[in-house]
Amino acid sequence: MEGKVTLYGSETCNWCTRTRAFLKEHKVKFNDVDVGRNEKKAMEMIKKSGQQGIPVIEIGKEIVIGFNEEKLKKALKIK
Amino acid sequence: MEKKKIKENELEYDFIILGAGVTGLSAAMYGARLGLKSLVLGASHGSELPVGGVITTTDIVENYPGFIKLTGTELSDKIRDHALSYDLVKIKEEKAESVEKKKDSFVVKTKKDVYDSKTILFATGTKWKKLDVKGSKEFENKGVAYCALCDAVLFKGKTVALVGGSDSAAKDALVLAEHVKKVYIIYRGEQIHPEPINMARVKAAKNIEIINKTNITEIKGDKSVKSIVLDREFNGKNELEVQGVFVAIGHIPLSDLAKSLGVKINTKGEIIMDHKTSETNVEGIYAAGDVADKPFKQAITGVAEGCTAAYSAFEYITKKEVRST
Repeated sequence: MEGKVTLYGSETCNWCTRTRAFLKEHKVKFNDVDVGRNEKKAMEMIKKSGQQGIPVIEIGKEIVIGFNEEKLKKALKIK
Repeated sequence: MEKKKIKENELEYDFIILGAGVTGLSAAMYGARLGLKSLVLGASHGSELPVGGVITTTDIVENYPGFIKLTGTELSDKIRDHALSYDLVKIKEEKAESVEKKKDSFVVKTKKDVYDSKTILFATGTKWKKLDVKGSKEFENKGVAYCALCDAVLFKGKTVALVGGSDSAAKDALVLAEHVKKVYIIYRGEQIHPEPINMARVKAAKNIEIINKTNITEIKGDKSVKSIVLDREFNGKNELEVQGVFVAIGHIPLSDLAKSLGVKINTKGEIIMDHKTSETNVEGIYAAGDVADKPFKQAITGVAEGCTAAYSAFEYITKKEVRST
C-alpha cells in the first residue's frame, strides 16, 4: 500500500458505506472523514479532487473518485 | 418440491434473479420459502447502485407497511437480511453479461462464472435519465448531481436548482432544503405532482421555490456550476445564479438483456408482464419492480411483484417436473 488513506464521505451515501466496508474487508487503515459534518474538509476534498460528489478516496498522492473496486485494488496494491 | 442445500452446486439454480433491489431480494426470500434454490445477482445491471437498489438513495421511507419511518438503506438491509436468513438464498455482486436460453434452462454469464437456472426474474430496475442540455455533461460531479441524498452535504449554504416534478423530485428537494440556502424546483409541466403529503411539505419549506412551465437550456460555470439559463423569464431574467443542479427527471428501464431473449418490451422500454402472475411472453422468464410495465412503482409494489414471480416460477418448475416423471 502506498501512503496514507483518507475516505471523504458521509453517513447517508450508500457508496461511501460500500467503500468503508471494502477498506475494512481488506484491512486497510484509513481516515474516515464525514464531509457532511466538516465543511472545511469538504472544501479540502473539492479542492483536491475537483469533484462535488462523494465518495472520494485519497491514497497517498492518488485520488480515486467513487467506489471503483478495480481502481482501489490497484492503488492499494491489493491482489 | 424437496428442499435442497445450496452447497451442493454453486452454479445451478432454480431461480436466478437479476437485480438486487428490494424487488429482487424479496423474490429470493419468497423463492426460498417455496423451496427454490435462488441466486440474486447484483449490485448493478446498469443502475450504478449497490445491493439494496434505488431505495438506498431515499432518505426517509414512510409508506412501507410495518415501519412508520426508516431510511431506504435500513429498509433494504432488513429485506436483504431476511432473504439471507434462508440457506437457499445466495447474493453475489456480479453483473449478468448475457442470458441465453438452453433447451430446459437458461445460461447466465457473468465475468466470474457461468450459471444455469430453470427460471429467470428480471428485477433490473432503472437508471437515472440524464439531463441533456449544454453543460450538463461537462459539469457532472462539478455541480450537476443525480443523488441528492449522497451529495446534498457538499452544497451547504448554497443555492441549487432541482429539475423535475415527480414525488421523487419533491423528496429530493426536501433533502436538499435541509442543507442548502435555497432550492429552486424547475419543472417543465403545469404543476409539480408529488404525493399530497410531500406537496404540503414542499409548500411549507421556507427555502423552496417552485418554477413551473420552465426548462433549463444551459448550465454555465468555470470550474464548477455558476448559473443556469431558463427558456422563459423568472423575476425578469432568463439566467439564474445557482451553484448546483440536481436532476430527478425520471428513469430508463434496464431491459436490454430481456429484449435479447425475445421478451416483449413496450415503447417506454419496460418489460411487458402479466399483472396477475409477473410472467413475460417467454416461458420461464418473469419481470417485477421498476423495470416492469406497471404504472404505480413503489417499493411495496415491486416487492409484491417479486413474490408473485417467485410463486409463478415455483408453479412452472413443479408442473414441468410432474410432466417429466
